[in-house]
Amino acid sequence: MMNRKRFFSATLTIASILTLAACGGANSSTSDSTGADGEEGKTLTFMFRGGEDEKKAYETAIAAYEAENPGVQVEIISTDADQYATKLQASIAGNDIPDVFYVGQGDVMAYVDNGILMDLTEAVENSDFDLDNVWKYGVDSYRYDGNNIGSGNIYGLPKDVGPFALGYNKTMFEEMGIPLPDIDVPYTWDEFVDVGLQLTADTDGDGEVDQWANGFNVAWSLQAFVWSNGADFLNEDNTKVTIDTPEFAEALQYFADLQNVHNLTPSIAQAQTLDTYQRWMNGEIGFFPVGPWDMSTYEGLDFEYDLIPWPAGSTGESASFVGSLGIAVSEGTEYKDEAVELAMYLSTSEEGQQQLVDAQIQIPNLIDMAEEWASDTESVPSNKKEFLDVVGVYGRGLPAATTYTSEWYDEFFINIQPVLDGDQTAADYLKSVQPKMQELLDASIMQHEQAAN
Amino acid sequence: MKRESKVSNTIIFFVLLIGAIVMIAPLLWMVSTSFKDKSGVFSLPPEWIPAPFLTDAYERLFELDQLWSGIKNSIIVSFSVTIVGTITSSLAAFSFAKLRLPFKNLIFLMLLIGIMIPYPSIMIPQFVIFSKIGWVNTLFPLIIPGMFGNITMIFFLKQYLSNVPDSIIEAAKIDGAGYFQIFTKLIFPAIKPAIAAQFILWFMGAWNDYLAPLLYLNSPEKQTLQVVIANLNASYAIQTDYPLIMAASVISLIPVLTIFIIFQKQIIESVALSAVKG
Amino acid sequence: MEVTDKKITDVNKNIKRKSQLYKDEQKAAIAFIIIPVIGFIVFSMIPFFISLYASFTDWNGIGQMNFIGLANYKSLFKDEYFWKTLYNTFYLMLGIPIGLMISFLLASALSRRIVGKTIFRVIYYIPVVSSLAAISILWQWAYNGDFGLVNQVLDIFGIQGPNWLQNVNTVKPAIIIMAVWKGVGYSMLLYLAAIQSVPRTFYEAAELDGANAFQRFRFITWPMVKPITFFLIVTNIIGGSQVFTEVNIMTPTGGPQYSSATVVWYLWRQAFNNWKMGYASAISVVLGLIIFIITALQFYMNRRSNYKLD
Repeated sequence: MMNRKRFFSATLTIASILTLAACGGANSSTSDSTGADGEEGKTLTFMFRGGEDEKKAYETAIAAYEAENPGVQVEIISTDADQYATKLQASIAGNDIPDVFYVGQGDVMAYVDNGILMDLTEAVENSDFDLDNVWKYGVDSYRYDGNNIGSGNIYGLPKDVGPFALGYNKTMFEEMGIPLPDIDVPYTWDEFVDVGLQLTADTDGDGEVDQWANGFNVAWSLQAFVWSNGADFLNEDNTKVTIDTPEFAEALQYFADLQNVHNLTPSIAQAQTLDTYQRWMNGEIGFFPVGPWDMSTYEGLDFEYDLIPWPAGSTGESASFVGSLGIAVSEGTEYKDEAVELAMYLSTSEEGQQQLVDAQIQIPNLIDMAEEWASDTESVPSNKKEFLDVVGVYGRGLPAATTYTSEWYDEFFINIQPVLDGDQTAADYLKSVQPKMQELLDASIMQHEQAAN
Repeated sequence: MKRESKVSNTIIFFVLLIGAIVMIAPLLWMVSTSFKDKSGVFSLPPEWIPAPFLTDAYERLFELDQLWSGIKNSIIVSFSVTIVGTITSSLAAFSFAKLRLPFKNLIFLMLLIGIMIPYPSIMIPQFVIFSKIGWVNTLFPLIIPGMFGNITMIFFLKQYLSNVPDSIIEAAKIDGAGYFQIFTKLIFPAIKPAIAAQFILWFMGAWNDYLAPLLYLNSPEKQTLQVVIANLNASYAIQTDYPLIMAASVISLIPVLTIFIIFQKQIIESVALSAVKG
Repeated sequence: MEVTDKKITDVNKNIKRKSQLYKDEQKAAIAFIIIPVIGFIVFSMIPFFISLYASFTDWNGIGQMNFIGLANYKSLFKDEYFWKTLYNTFYLMLGIPIGLMISFLLASALSRRIVGKTIFRVIYYIPVVSSLAAISILWQWAYNGDFGLVNQVLDIFGIQGPNWLQNVNTVKPAIIIMAVWKGVGYSMLLYLAAIQSVPRTFYEAAELDGANAFQRFRFITWPMVKPITFFLIVTNIIGGSQVFTEVNIMTPTGGPQYSSATVVWYLWRQAFNNWKMGYASAISVVLGLIIFIITALQFYMNRRSNYKLD
């Protein structure tokens, strides 16, 4: 009796598993689909991350691609931005790599060393892809010669270039009667503080300051000050951490002083990014960084804003960073030609780029298209050209974009709060953190060498 | 209990009321946000009653094909896992709690180890295993492991069973009942409230899980609801359509809450045990 | 003589039947637990052993695994961030006793005759069933230093709230509050089930014997729910050791000076940001070991004070 019952329960379990298997089997992903002519079609997988607007723009590009390549279908794998790296790594470990996928600047070295990315140089040269019409920064970000990023063979095409420009609240300036900043000549640091002091005020007379000059987040804005003062995080060949220089200390101290000495930032200024973002959007902040991705949200702002060059330190020239995300092809893809073609389409197809620009997600990868877009000074922001200047003239990649891992760079920001709070001088902090960062950088270089072998 | 004083019950009521407001406030915020327009999300000071009040996010949500497939997939996963898994878990709990077996405490502890291992470290090896048998982009990796039982549920039922006296089992054995019979006729009814409580929790865990589905499911039509919601996040936070995400989260809440409301009566009824004690 | 012979054969038959019964019981016991055991071996043990092996290599997650012996473990012991995150993780577990006390009180309250009991139960349970990701976003907003919900409420009482998630001293308490908020409904429900399962006859008998409310609680209610308390403590400690999602969403960079980074969050970064999968595996082995020891200790201590109802 007992045996029969056990037998039944066991068969029930097995039966349900089998049923599910039957259902699931019918739905499992296939790598081949029948084309229109009844012959075996090809399916490429494209893994990306992004919101609905981006997805639609890429779908347009893909539709154009499929129209030109009958028999090829593209399956989009869309995933959460946060876990993108994890999912990609898992798929590599499980040997189930998508044919075309996004790759971050900082990851190129690791992926190439482990043989994941396909070398696109020949394919690009042989196609009618006009490299000169694509931002050099974008293309070079995916060049790798085995040692350094920036030169060598091409392992990816730019999905976008992301210039980090400085914006200001034009309406606020006009209301306060302050002369507008020059769109060509950057402020000096002293001028920047002066203007800031004029902006930071109590505008409604209730005894409390309700308007501030700026609210920069150290992780994204410090670079502009460091670089324009002639300092840098790394030396030329990316082997030494060079933060303990007087120029760097001066820049970091200046940055911290904006908050502590001159009181130009909101009091609870430990910048939770969304925090000062919201104040900016509410019209309470004078200067704030603007990236192309912000434009669509800023459309609904109550005030007019525009772009200017970042304040310049001792070098007299502005500096800022440019980010980038790339599109790569898997080395193990079954359909090499089609995959490369797809990557080129996603990177530079005119229809796709136009749609991305219209949705105000990024600036065009194509230089001529970008210049045409920037020539429109009617719509806000009027000085769109600033974005182009950052990409083409004074922008640089973030320090971690050219090293094997970013651990040494992340270390810099972990314990920086006391400096920003005024509890520790910049010089002291830099001296104490440099050895730790150097150690991590050395470890990362060693990791690189081991992987390359 | 005739002795409960009305005064103390009234005081308790008010304390509970304040607590309930604290419990529900963030979720009211979720609902409120789902009716705002994109920039209203960030307005200062934050508004509780959206102005303008838009059902726009819900309209956009319902137009999303993936919403429906997401709900379908989540239902398939959550129900298959919990229903089959409950059976296997309760049988195991019965065994651990009431049956004699050498080393059974050791075996139990070993099973418990299963949840002590941090998920990230077994995540990749598990993925590799499933990848080799071709289960990536199917719902199997999410369902099959759970069907083998859930140690948390086993643990809880085992504890709950300690309040069921051994004597009734002995009595049944003497009456000649087989072990499976004992389970179905005596044990299962006695632990129904406990099973209900754990079932809800497990269902909710499966419904809200997003790390594992994110990893295994590629095609939009295979993805579960939480993955669909997670994918609504744009690369740049500022572009994220928060009203849409909040609307989706509200919708995602409804099935689990419904199951809870249905089951919570089960949890509270204690008739079975009292009858046995009688 | 015949009588005693018969008695002996009867006794022998009884012994045989008993050991047969014992064998049957064993068979049933094994049959019922075999499925979870198989599941454990296939889905937990094998991946764990792979991960264990990886902890002795320099695996970066996508390439080869090269054996490097105990190097990962040695760096682990010297890694100040590992110890810091371990400390953070255990600090966050302070919420466990707080949560249990609150939920027990809630359960006791809700097992009385209160108006709107059912609605209260549902409301208190809503946080439990909501997705952790959505909750984390909501609380991130709620904790905003300038205009978050929490500080708005404090404002009513004239207290200026800190920037919870950015202040080294308040970030962990903030996360504890959120965790308690989310978990209290679940523990409350389990306690409710346990409290309701205590037969009324016990209380009535005690009252007849002259026991007051406190004594009834201490000698009847509390011991009856002890198994639940044990369960909740063990599972909450195990769960607490693995906190990841909340921290990743609310303080994506690990909090000010890594003060809210938990061990699992840290190992996640090592694995997926820094290409150090081998190192991450070592961290998880150590974490698993610590939790195992703690749990085994708990079981040992519990066995001695086991309360069984016969």
